[in-house]
Amino acid sequence: MAFAKTTNPRSTPPESAAVVLPNNIFITTMFWATMGFLYLPLAYLVVQAFLTDPGNIASGFTTDWVVALLHGDSLWEPLMNSLIIGVASATIATFIGTLGAVGFGPFSTVLPPSLTALIMLPILIPEVITGLSLLLFFLLFRFELGATTVVLAHASFSASFVYFIMIEQLRKLDPNLGEAAYDLGAEPGQIFWKVILPNIVPGLIAGWLLSFTISFDDFLISFFTSGAGLITLPLKIYSLMRIGFSPELNAMSLVMICLSTGLVMVLWSKEQSRKWVISGS
Amino acid sequence: MKKLVLRLRDWPPSAWIFFAWLVTLSVLPFLIILAMSFAVRSESGLISWTFTLANYERAFHLVYLKVLAKTIFLSLGATITCLLVGFPVAYYLARATPEKRQMGLMLLFIPFWTNFILRIYGIVSIFGNHGLLNQTIMRLGLTDSPIEILYTRFGIYLGLVYNYLPFLVVPIFSALEKFDLSLREAAMDLGANRWQTFTRVLLPNVREGIAIGSLFVFIPMMGEYVIPDILGGAKEVFLGRVMVEQFFTMQDWPFGSALASVLSMGLMIAVWVRMRFEQRKAGPTSHGLR
Repeated sequence: MAFAKTTNPRSTPPESAAVVLPNNIFITTMFWATMGFLYLPLAYLVVQAFLTDPGNIASGFTTDWVVALLHGDSLWEPLMNSLIIGVASATIATFIGTLGAVGFGPFSTVLPPSLTALIMLPILIPEVITGLSLLLFFLLFRFELGATTVVLAHASFSASFVYFIMIEQLRKLDPNLGEAAYDLGAEPGQIFWKVILPNIVPGLIAGWLLSFTISFDDFLISFFTSGAGLITLPLKIYSLMRIGFSPELNAMSLVMICLSTGLVMVLWSKEQSRKWVISGS
Repeated sequence: MKKLVLRLRDWPPSAWIFFAWLVTLSVLPFLIILAMSFAVRSESGLISWTFTLANYERAFHLVYLKVLAKTIFLSLGATITCLLVGFPVAYYLARATPEKRQMGLMLLFIPFWTNFILRIYGIVSIFGNHGLLNQTIMRLGLTDSPIEILYTRFGIYLGLVYNYLPFLVVPIFSALEKFDLSLREAAMDLGANRWQTFTRVLLPNVREGIAIGSLFVFIPMMGEYVIPDILGGAKEVFLGRVMVEQFFTMQDWPFGSALASVLSMGLMIAVWVRMRFEQRKAGPTSHGLR
């Protein structure tokens, strides 16, 4: 007792020790249980693709379904469509978004909040509203629904993501760089192509990849703006899903999971796009 | 040094191109929805641009008020569940080492970069009538026929929680991250117990950030179409589903647009609240939303 009294309670109180400890058992359990809840459905999709009888977990494993899918035609057309739409929309979005960042970049600290909010708008608006409003827009202006409208729709909001990535990238650029090049006799065109551009390439790549990933994974906006003819991979999975469980659907889900996860890993590995992975889309 | 001010005539051409793009493909479509919500759909199904408030009045008919009530009930329930589950998850991340924190955030978001339809299919594969869960309990002999978890109101709830959870963990996490943990320690040193420290010190400090984060989850939830459509079965009504059906099944664009406009207004208010909040927190120099 005497010992306890002479010790300063503030230096080693038991409660204070709890603050430094990483996390208590309840918090840690909740965290990992939640992760389990989030990953179980996706992990099971992977397992399911290899089940001999997809309706029976005890039926044993086979790679037949996946092999059949890779050798059949049902996968390749939607996959190619998704890739083409992804590449096209990402390229347009990167171009437009970069133009915006280069144009507004010097003013980015004094941009009125309303303008920033406007640029943010396509990111914040729920997908369902974006999809419906673009659908009405395309119909009223007599666009023929198909690959073009889907590309435009994807690029419309991806451009804003690229804009924010490029603004950050340009901010890191030394403002004296252009001036130094100018003093050394470079012309404006040369300054852009030989001095500025090589320095913002990482941002361009990250912005392009982010746009591509968003386009590749998008379901809802493609669903609204694609019309009847065009089938992307997510649309194909959706239409198979409406019919019910099938080995083909399971194998296709596996392909999609692998591609999506690969893409997000790449985004995560790039410093410029990492924070957008966390804010989600 | 001259103060840098952005005037319209100073905008370089590249800024104009980007601006025109935004206006054409984001603002204009949105204005079309807004305009359409005041238009009339004639008997023949054509749109006539005569101003009317009838579409909004219709949204207040008893049948749609019931839809709204059910939607709010489900979305609110899902948001609260996300809060209750998301808080410990965010707390874990906020107190983890920087490396663990990065890994944890990545783990949290990987599922959300796999395609949305796959996440729904994953839920069906686990909780559906022929899914893993029902297969397992039937094999164990606990029941003869599958338990109907999906294709009910609960199915929608499950889908909402699953799909929106990380988007609520992030705002809680950033609120907790800003919270000075030594305050917690100080409260305990001053004799507060764990519960008091939580309710009187921690919560008041993170309340606003969490409330705004919840709004950004709650409003988009109400507009969900695919989740109620696939996980909710044929009978369950939901605002987003009713809205999308106006466009595709009913061909009543004006009424669908009115529902979409109301939902968007809700979101605009959320954006406005967040901007006000962040300006107040960060002082007048702050701009932007993130």
